[in-house]
Amino acid sequence: MITSDSPILRTSVNVISPLALLVATYLFFAGHNKPGGGFAAGLVIGAVVILRTITGLQRDIQAARILSIGTVIAAGVAVAPIFFGETMLDQAVWQVTAPVLGKIKLGSALVFDLGVTLVVVGMLTAAIEGLGGTHYPVEEEF
Amino acid sequence: MILLLLPILLVSCLFLAASGNRLGRLVFPLAAAPLVVTFIWGCSQLVSTAPSAEERLVWVSGLSLNFIFQLSSLASLMTVLVSGIGICVFMYSFGYFSDDSQGLNTFSATLLLFSTAMLGLVWADSVWTLFIFWELTSITSFLLVGHKNTYKEARLSARRALLITAAGGLCLLAGLLLIADSAGTTRLSEMGTAEFSSTAAVLIMIAAATKSAQFPFHIWLPGAMAAPTPVSAYLHSATMVKAGVVLAALFSPTFAETGTWKTVGLFFGIASMLWGGIGALRQFDAKLILAWGTVSQLGLLFTLLSLGSAKATFAAIAILAAHAVFKAALFMVVGEIDVRTGTRDIRKLAGLASSMPITFGVAAVSAASMAGVPPLLGFAAKEAAIEAVLKLSGTQDLIAGGSIVVGSVITVAYTTRFMLGVFSTPSQEAASDATPVAPQSVGMSVSSSLLGACSVIGFLILPKVSTWVKSAAMQLNPEAEIYKLYRWPGLTTAFLVSAAIVASGLVLGWFAEKKIVAEAKPAGARFADLSVSTILRTAQVITGKMQHGSLPFYIATMAITASVATMPFLFALDVEPIYWSDSWAQTTLAILAIISSLTVAAVRTRLSAAIALGFVGLSITGLFVAHGAPDLALTQLLVETVIVVGFVVGLGKLAHGFPQVGVIWRGVRFLVSALIGFAVTAALVASASAPTGEPPLEAIAEKSQTVGGGNNIVNVILTDMRALDTLGEITVLVVVAIGILALAKPRLPSIEREDAAKENVI
Repeated sequence: MITSDSPILRTSVNVISPLALLVATYLFFAGHNKPGGGFAAGLVIGAVVILRTITGLQRDIQAARILSIGTVIAAGVAVAPIFFGETMLDQAVWQVTAPVLGKIKLGSALVFDLGVTLVVVGMLTAAIEGLGGTHYPVEEEF
Repeated sequence: MILLLLPILLVSCLFLAASGNRLGRLVFPLAAAPLVVTFIWGCSQLVSTAPSAEERLVWVSGLSLNFIFQLSSLASLMTVLVSGIGICVFMYSFGYFSDDSQGLNTFSATLLLFSTAMLGLVWADSVWTLFIFWELTSITSFLLVGHKNTYKEARLSARRALLITAAGGLCLLAGLLLIADSAGTTRLSEMGTAEFSSTAAVLIMIAAATKSAQFPFHIWLPGAMAAPTPVSAYLHSATMVKAGVVLAALFSPTFAETGTWKTVGLFFGIASMLWGGIGALRQFDAKLILAWGTVSQLGLLFTLLSLGSAKATFAAIAILAAHAVFKAALFMVVGEIDVRTGTRDIRKLAGLASSMPITFGVAAVSAASMAGVPPLLGFAAKEAAIEAVLKLSGTQDLIAGGSIVVGSVITVAYTTRFMLGVFSTPSQEAASDATPVAPQSVGMSVSSSLLGACSVIGFLILPKVSTWVKSAAMQLNPEAEIYKLYRWPGLTTAFLVSAAIVASGLVLGWFAEKKIVAEAKPAGARFADLSVSTILRTAQVITGKMQHGSLPFYIATMAITASVATMPFLFALDVEPIYWSDSWAQTTLAILAIISSLTVAAVRTRLSAAIALGFVGLSITGLFVAHGAPDLALTQLLVETVIVVGFVVGLGKLAHGFPQVGVIWRGVRFLVSALIGFAVTAALVASASAPTGEPPLEAIAEKSQTVGGGNNIVNVILTDMRALDTLGEITVLVVVAIGILALAKPRLPSIEREDAAKENVI
């Protein structure tokens, strides 16, 4: 795989990653009313993970764990309503009025979306793991 | 009580399975313990005539998928047989196996699970409960038959048994669905005798026949001899094969007015009774003689049950009980002979009557009971059957009656041959030629003697047995109330017929013992194995052809298949309402996409191709924007980004440029590409040209606000309205990811790999 020792690339990826994660967070919550959503957020986070892997900033990826957590969350939200006597995948909405933020609406769809995000991230990390991303050849020289 | 017993039995199975090799042969007494409890409870229920209160365990309430149990009279009789013989079988196993035998824990656990399944089957009062336990007996018997899994013969036999009984299980499922639908209830006790479809009758009868090894499904039973003898003894007496009889019995009142039921049942019964008997006459392996005898005896049961008259039903239940007792004892005897002499071949065995007196005694009593000789339980039961035959009228019934008489003669004949072959001393040879015998084992002798004694005890307490049989028969046919079993019927016609049967059977058996020297070939089993192996070989050839491992070929195959599948769309093509573009932006972006696609095909290095492909994606993203779909555009953009990054990562492992290709292959690729391009275009244009109506935009937007509580319709659809689809999609993602992880596992260093390869060989 292509790895890069370029300090410029490494530094910029390192600087950009928190910003990209911020964008991902925005996309995740914006999805309710504007373009975005769990899938898009997952793609952004996945791209960050891949870039950090290429530049050697990140070595330990556990795709299987991310995948399984995501699957459990999504499937859990899907199945949970059955135990409350509702039909499968029925959405529950809670409204909270916080002091500063005003009215906050929380739906179980958001949790479901979190599962989707994690599965997408897991899928992308699995891909990079499959391409040999975890076996970073330069590390032996350090 | 049933809902208490079942968990006890299941927990015991788990405990046994988890006990490892620590307990040795002690697993058998432990396994027998829960059966003792069941046996005692079963005996206490025998006297009560009214069915016990139902016990239910709700599983899926909306689908009436519940575990419902009820102990009917027939069920309590079967409970006593299954648990009683089960106890004997476990005692026998204690003597049959030695302490150093491997896998006794799993064996005893499977055997106990098998009896649990059989008990659950007879206790079931819901068709679904019945079906689940029915399948469980199939699976556990597969495991038991294949217990000696290092032997090819055992594996083949186990597979044969599983394939046949599982096929029967499918028939049962279909039949039960049909019945439950037309009866409007899933409860067996509420079925009634409405007019049912003959398809259901045939399906259920086939299911019963596969389980009970009826002709032509009998081929699995002789092969099941590959199992250890305790399994055979159990399988052939109270369980497995009796499951089919119980099923046929339970549904005989339901289908009493469905004509095909009787015809099919009589066909199976008569064919098996005669063919099984003939098969038993031709075998030399003592165990196989008994196995074929089982086929014949079950044929008799099927014939009697299918006749449908109260007397025949009564006789069938009596024979069911008598057969369970004497057949289990006989199998135990053969197993003991096998262990102590090392052979089961009646040509090699001789003079065991004097060297194994106890075994001989048990065998003599049980064989006499099988042949229907007084003063034994089998005699009383056979008398009832003959009396039922004498009352028959009508062509079909008379054929059945005649067959029962002929079948009984053959039964006496193979019993005679069995006894002569195993125990007699050939007159011309000296007594010193008798087969050498190892010392006897207490466990085996005690349990076989116990069962042998039951044939006598059953006769001594015949009035009691008679009431039990009667109440079970009355459950199936209330008119059976007037019948009973007689110790001594007097010189009736039936008795004279019986005497004639025994006399002619003895003569026939004596002749058979002298004359039959050629071994019979198991044609049916070979045919079954051949068809299975042919299917497997064909599958292998097809898979080899399809999965050749060339990626370009895979892609070409998929593209061509997809293109051909799209062709029907061409007929729906209507170019009238189609126009080129909405705006100049679309036109520009489309041209850009086309140019970049051509670039992908034209460039020589892989990196350039990847970048050009990214351009294609970006142009498409632009098209989405121009069309007013920001969600699609965002997702497309992100996907393109990730794909390009992915390409860059992956390309590091590949050569810089594309490999050279020949002219022909290049031409083929052009053709395939043009074809798929044309097909996709045609399909899109066709679907766009024929809209089936206005999209319900207003309604969805409205619903998105009220139900989903969000303004982004696309996302509300994804996570709420059609969340099931999303769940399906992420499942696909998970599967793909697992595939990647499994396929692209970091390779082991070469030394470790060689070690692993060696281990695999071993």
